[in-house]
Amino acid sequence: MTDIFTEAVERLSRVTGVRGALVVETDAGVPIIAELADGIDGDVVAALAASLFRRTNKAAQTAAFGNLRTLQLEADVGHVIVADGGDVLIVVIAEKTAQLGLVRLEAHRAAEALQ
Amino acid sequence: MIIADLPRLVEALKPPIADFVRESRSRIALLINGSGQVLAQHGFTRSYEVMNVASLAAAAHASAAALAELTDASRWTHLHHAGKERQLFLAPVKTPVAELILVIIFDEETSLGIVQLYFEQLTGTIAALPEFQEALAETTEQHFERDLEAGLRNVITDEGNRA
Repeated sequence: MTDIFTEAVERLSRVTGVRGALVVETDAGVPIIAELADGIDGDVVAALAASLFRRTNKAAQTAAFGNLRTLQLEADVGHVIVADGGDVLIVVIAEKTAQLGLVRLEAHRAAEALQ
Repeated sequence: MIIADLPRLVEALKPPIADFVRESRSRIALLINGSGQVLAQHGFTRSYEVMNVASLAAAAHASAAALAELTDASRWTHLHHAGKERQLFLAPVKTPVAELILVIIFDEETSLGIVQLYFEQLTGTIAALPEFQEALAETTEQHFERDLEAGLRNVITDEGNRA
């Protein structure tokens, strides 16, 4: 199982503009595996991304939109993408210039592979 | 270490504990010293619950420390129990003059990651409090019961009044 996680994170990290990729335990909000650029605190990213995803998912369900599949945050200099992989979440930190379509595609592929 | 000047410490600890509970969305927080003396609490309304949890937490911490020593693990950073509805997080809080024990009970409103995240901040805030920069006056055996009761009154009365 760890190999699948490692493969998912490594594949995502190879996408141009990606500064970090993590597989996070959804309920606990703790990282299972992470590959991050210097200066990024994986524990903090995992905790906050999982918390945000869980709350947004609750909002989506309350609005009768069903389950949340992807959460995409846009900040001044980059993006955070969170994809639902069942018991785990795929979290990707990407630069503003990254090819977002490709990042999202790879995040979804990883999420599906882990479900 | 049994702390004598409890009211001063209780007052100093109220804001950081309240901030922690609000930000981490925890249900219950209890801060004790190694002897089980209660320094701060949030979420309890009955003193016997506080006393029971404080005693058990101090014992669990002592057992975990002994186990760590036996297994050459040096020390544990925290103890986590995940229940069906509630979870327990128990961790030592290091200050320049004493090691305290924090007990957190949380549910699905938050997660272990979030509790850990705000715990790190809380540890830094408590360790930097002026009250924990110099050796704390210790109580005597004769005054232990009295100080324990006074401590419980300090931390329970306020919560009870707010409830």
